[in-house]
Amino acid sequence: MANIILSLHEASRTVNSGSNKVTILDDINLQVEEGEFISLMGPSGSGKSTLLNCIGMLDAFTDGEYAFLGQSVHRMKEKDRSKLYKEYIGFVFQAYHLIDELKVYENIETPLLYKGVKASERKAMVADMLDRFGVVGKKDLFPQQLSGGQQQLVGIMRALIGSPKLILADEPTGNLNSKQSTEIMELFAELNKEGATIIQATHSENNAAYGSRIVNLLDGKIVSQ
Amino acid sequence: MIKNFIKIAWRNLLKNKGFTTINIVGLSLGIGCFVMISLYVTDELSYDKFHENAHRTYRIDSDVIFGGTELSMAVTSDPMGETIKNDYPEVESYVRFYNSNGSKLIRKGNTFINEDAVTHVDSTLFKIFSFPVIVGDPHTALVEPNSVVLTETAAERYFGSPELALGQMLETDDNNETLYEVTAVIEDIPKNSHFNFDFFFSMHNVNYGFGNFLSHNFHTYVLLREGTDYQAFNRNFREVINKYLVPQAAQFMQIDNIEEFEASGNKLEYSLFPLTDIHLYSSRDIELGVNGNIQYVYIFSGIALFILLIACINFMNLSTAKSSGRAKEVGVRKVLGSERKSLIWQFLTESSLIAYISIFVGLFFVWLTLGWFNGISGKELEFSSLLRTKFLAFLVLLPLVVGVIAGTYPAFFLSSFTPIKVLKGKLSMGPKKNTLRNFLVVFQFATSVILIIGTIVIYKQINHIQSANLGFDKDQVLVVSNAGIAGSARETLKNEIEQMVGVKSASFAGYLPVSSSSRSDTSFSTETVMTESNGFNMQHWRIDYDYIETIGMEIIAGRNFSREFGADSTAIILNETAVKLAGFEDPIGKKIYTTDENANTITRTVIGVVKNFNYESLRENVAGLSFVLGNSSWETAYRLDTSNIAGLLNTIENKYKAAVPNMPFQYTFLDTAFDNMYRQERRVGRVALSFAVLAIIIACLGLFGLVTYVAEQRTKEIGVRKVLGASIFNIVRMLSTDFVKLVALSFVIATPLAWWFMSNWLQDFAYRITLSWWIFFVTGLIALAIALITLSFQAIRAAVANPVNSLRSE
Repeated sequence: MANIILSLHEASRTVNSGSNKVTILDDINLQVEEGEFISLMGPSGSGKSTLLNCIGMLDAFTDGEYAFLGQSVHRMKEKDRSKLYKEYIGFVFQAYHLIDELKVYENIETPLLYKGVKASERKAMVADMLDRFGVVGKKDLFPQQLSGGQQQLVGIMRALIGSPKLILADEPTGNLNSKQSTEIMELFAELNKEGATIIQATHSENNAAYGSRIVNLLDGKIVSQ
Repeated sequence: MIKNFIKIAWRNLLKNKGFTTINIVGLSLGIGCFVMISLYVTDELSYDKFHENAHRTYRIDSDVIFGGTELSMAVTSDPMGETIKNDYPEVESYVRFYNSNGSKLIRKGNTFINEDAVTHVDSTLFKIFSFPVIVGDPHTALVEPNSVVLTETAAERYFGSPELALGQMLETDDNNETLYEVTAVIEDIPKNSHFNFDFFFSMHNVNYGFGNFLSHNFHTYVLLREGTDYQAFNRNFREVINKYLVPQAAQFMQIDNIEEFEASGNKLEYSLFPLTDIHLYSSRDIELGVNGNIQYVYIFSGIALFILLIACINFMNLSTAKSSGRAKEVGVRKVLGSERKSLIWQFLTESSLIAYISIFVGLFFVWLTLGWFNGISGKELEFSSLLRTKFLAFLVLLPLVVGVIAGTYPAFFLSSFTPIKVLKGKLSMGPKKNTLRNFLVVFQFATSVILIIGTIVIYKQINHIQSANLGFDKDQVLVVSNAGIAGSARETLKNEIEQMVGVKSASFAGYLPVSSSSRSDTSFSTETVMTESNGFNMQHWRIDYDYIETIGMEIIAGRNFSREFGADSTAIILNETAVKLAGFEDPIGKKIYTTDENANTITRTVIGVVKNFNYESLRENVAGLSFVLGNSSWETAYRLDTSNIAGLLNTIENKYKAAVPNMPFQYTFLDTAFDNMYRQERRVGRVALSFAVLAIIIACLGLFGLVTYVAEQRTKEIGVRKVLGASIFNIVRMLSTDFVKLVALSFVIATPLAWWFMSNWLQDFAYRITLSWWIFFVTGLIALAIALITLSFQAIRAAVANPVNSLRSE
């Protein structure tokens, strides 16, 4: 049996909106094994993004248990939590969220800086990555000089550079046309084949089909998986 | 990592050119001003510290109260130095300066040059003060009579070089052509010395009744042995007074000890004053030079700090105002694993980088304006002194400090964004209340308003002094020096010039109502034998028949001296204060008594009372004064009545040149001499004015930046409002109202503070303006107007923009 990367047990997320307590995620039970490619589906407001953010430790569950690689995340301090996600999780965003002031090369390099990787090693790692995706010629361009698909490609490279155990992608093709979408989704599928564990949130049936498992959310509850 | 920080900081600066320009201009003005003031303050604090023995050198000061007249002098009696050296082993050495004779005429070729920077000193000068000698032996240089030590400048002026000067003879006008031999040449005395002489003549050539403990005419400096507590030493002076002064005083006054003298409200005190404190803390009568004032050092330092702070606040406000632009970056970096600490460092690097760029621009400003600043502040600061190690370290550290002060708040503010909110675009940048930013704007404008009010008050006070009713008429009075002219020639010249068209009257006037003129203080009593209770001191000026008319004074009782009354040689005219001191109800015809040099009693009859006139600075009230007929012909005063001053002056000069060809024609106008008494106040006024202008410019720069960003953030809102029918005026008002409120609030806060500061400053003047409401009102209007102009510039631009453009951008 494959290793379990994370497991959620009756995990909930509520927010206080004025005097009302609004439940965004309700009693989520989910287990993710290494090598899975999960697609979170559901209409707007169903809680996909919140679930993804909570898994990615950018946000926290207010109730229930969350174990990541056997460690109880819900009992951790903020600092340890950020250490954990820095080490094991890579993020890909709908709006790419590249740093406009940095060149392609520097954007990819940034996570390594924060990990404290030595300069010579960084250089080699980024060069490998650029080579692997065939974009060596674009390394000195700024994000605005790239097309949307190319920007998302850089976003993915940046997520991959730290060799994460888990990649979280929130509507990765939301801002792209269908040709670019297909390219990106095929890339994810390929990465998954090579062993990466991926969770994506998506509206699109087509995109969801690339995954190995689909989890449907409605009003904060898992309705089928 | 740091390389990455600098790289991204640099690109950010280039990307936001407007923001960067405002920040750099503001900060470099602030830093430049701070550096300039640092130069000034360092110079002020460095006075006399270059002397090797500075830490144990002291000046003997005298404080006397006698008969209601108070004197605090920087001089003491001639035997004092020698006496304490003999009696107290703590005193290692002493040196006296005597320059009561004023300037000397010194022969160069066929003409005489008038030299002001002259003094007579003891041969111990070089034991106490450190003046590097170029040629000659300092230990023997001033031992013999008729010897003189020159500075390099003087040696070059008269002989060509220090080497050529050594052994040469210098001819002066002392006692009809005394010759002095140049025995040594020293380097020029540094500018940061409280005295500045070019000629040091031997003390042996001073014609003075030495051994007199009761006359205070010598600047005396003593060197105490290492480790002596000078304040403890001060207690010894009482012993000295009882042992030496009381016996001398007893010859004409009935006292047995100092306690008796003090019992009647009089006072006699001596004290040591540290050499290095003289420039900033001493403002006594008869100082050797014009001293500074520690108060102004504090005020300028404070102003410099505030201007720097105002500039830092601009940076803080602009950085936080445009935080939405950086928010995404912060979010992304946090997601990529950046800790908050590292983001804080990144933003601090950015602010320090701006500060470092600013210091270069700031130094450029300093380099450009130092000459101008020297002009208004009366200093001779040099740009090159910034290159000294101490200053270089300061220049390297300053931007770091500025970077941290300006950058800390934005760094903590920006790094606090939570990534999830930022990346979802939920970070509200709307019209959220920003209390701190508002507070900082208020602080900036309040400071500016205080500076403006301060400047106006200083200028008003100076004007008030210049137009005050002085009790005499200072305009159109020409004062010519008669030095080097024989007595009879003085009389002839005076009479000849008096006949000229445009000259109303002429008078010998050695004593003038400006503080740079001669003074003579004498004791009087209302009964033939002086006791502690009937004696008092007052100024005692020798004048001639035409003096009161020429200077424009007013007799309010009795009469002026007159050639028709033979007995006027024993007559005396008092001013109103002197009448009060004497206690006369009806002064005319009353007798008062004084003594001459030989202790003979002289009786004077009061014939008139002159209206009080200000003869010292208007900081002081008018003290007692008396006129008698006598000779004070070293200066002649001419009252002119002409529109062609220059032409008349030329004619008078020719008269003098014709009468005494070798002598320099030296003159001054009474109003100029009067203005010079307030030179320091005018300097402070000018410096304060320039800083006030600078402060308001920097503050407005910040306001300009803020309103630019607010308008940018609200572009869409402005578009929507315009589509809905808002007029340009509506939009401008909407954008400006908040800021105008802040400026108004600053004014409300600044007014009482400024009132308090300036009332305190005015306390220094016996004659002062009242702080009228309009000063504050006008300042408020000025501040508001400047702020409004700044605001509307951007607000109108935002308001006239075509709404279609701003709405399409979505």
